[in-house]
Amino acid sequence: MLAFTLALLYPLVGLGAPVGHWRWDGSIPGSTMSAVDVSLVLTGIALVLDVIVGTPVAWYLSRASGRDTILWEAAVLISVLMPPLALGILLSLAFGPSMEPGAWLLRLGLPTSNSPIAFVATQFYVSVGYYIVAARAAIAGVPIDLERTAALLGLRPWQVFRRITFPLARLGFAAAVSLAWVRALGEFGAIVVTSYYPSGMPVQIWINLQDAGMSAVMPLLLIFLLIALPLPWAIHLLAQRRGSDAHA
Amino acid sequence: MPTLEAHIVKARRRFRLDVELRLEQGQRLALFGASGAGKSTVLSCLAGIEGPDAGRIRLGDTILYPPNLPLHRRPIAYLTQNDWLFPHLSVGANVTFGLRGHETNGAGPWLEELKERLALGPLWNERAREVSGGQARKVALARMLARRPPLVLLDEPFTALDHPAIHDLVDAILKWQAELGFTLIAVDHRNQILERLCPRAAAIEDGRIVQEGPWAELEDAPATPTLAALLAP
Repeated sequence: MLAFTLALLYPLVGLGAPVGHWRWDGSIPGSTMSAVDVSLVLTGIALVLDVIVGTPVAWYLSRASGRDTILWEAAVLISVLMPPLALGILLSLAFGPSMEPGAWLLRLGLPTSNSPIAFVATQFYVSVGYYIVAARAAIAGVPIDLERTAALLGLRPWQVFRRITFPLARLGFAAAVSLAWVRALGEFGAIVVTSYYPSGMPVQIWINLQDAGMSAVMPLLLIFLLIALPLPWAIHLLAQRRGSDAHA
Repeated sequence: MPTLEAHIVKARRRFRLDVELRLEQGQRLALFGASGAGKSTVLSCLAGIEGPDAGRIRLGDTILYPPNLPLHRRPIAYLTQNDWLFPHLSVGANVTFGLRGHETNGAGPWLEELKERLALGPLWNERAREVSGGQARKVALARMLARRPPLVLLDEPFTALDHPAIHDLVDAILKWQAELGFTLIAVDHRNQILERLCPRAAAIEDGRIVQEGPWAELEDAPATPTLAALLAP
């Protein structure tokens, strides 16, 4: 187990690799802090959309018993299994100006490429499937009879979710949010096609690598890791602590 | 307290359930029969867990079926073999779970009585997941009755309890039924328990009521050999 863990963490040693003096913002093209801001704000918005849209879908998929749920599950899985680059190309075509949705949005002054909307929409597409799959498993872990009992005690469906389903599936929801966060924040293949600008951290790292070499990549890479990893950990620890408090 | 009128038709694997019931307010009826005869399905349809294929169910002015009334709008208490306590909540929070704000305010003396009679006081702040099986049964019973429902359905609620505990709970249910006047339908495979709980019984075989009346009538002249075998001492 120790050997496996060490092997798993070994790539982090790369942070100490001899790549020359790290070049921070100002000495390289583009803006490191601007990329951080773009990633944090727009990924946050995408994550909120994941939760708002994905939670009812996850609930439906975990509780519905009809044959049609197989179709809905397949649709969700397609978004999970789609290669990111392919998804980016398809999104840019499907929402491009030559297609009606893209043309309509453009007429409203909402460009569907190289814009914050394109950035958020792409992150939503790449992450919502992961959120739904994880949230669905979390909800499925709550016995449906507990929900029925709560309903027979007079609680409406949303009250049952708030007072029974969510508290009991808290850890699973934390995992779902963490997964969606990491997936959206780290997205490169689709984003680089649909939203090269405004550049988030992955694209900015790519730009730095192309234009200024590894020494310009390392600072942003370090910031990227510091931002990407602690939030899922924090959410997970918080959910665990509240879970154990509730069970104490 | 409303009258219950029900005609439940539902296809099962071995037979077609077709049962008609009419209970005036405050009546107590036992559904009695062999395992798999359809007793629990009747209760499940009344509670709304399962939907009938056809028929009608009405409790006073409230139409329960058709269409299938959502669970949260059914004025029904349903206790099954499993307690289904909410494990993340305390015993007290479980008992008062179904009470809305104004109901909680007026329910003080009633909650105190439930608490005292079922000896829940020392457990009140315990986590529900930590109480024993017998205690959990009492919590589930108190939670079910806290709302003072007009119709109570009991589906083998005394499984896995010892005789003194069953005796105690049956006494408590009878006392509260007399005080609150709720209509009661109980299912159990042990006729001794049902006879204490309900003065009348409806015997079900393969989804149909084969005989209905006071227990003495069923025991003196059982309508079918299966019923005679079930009632044999």
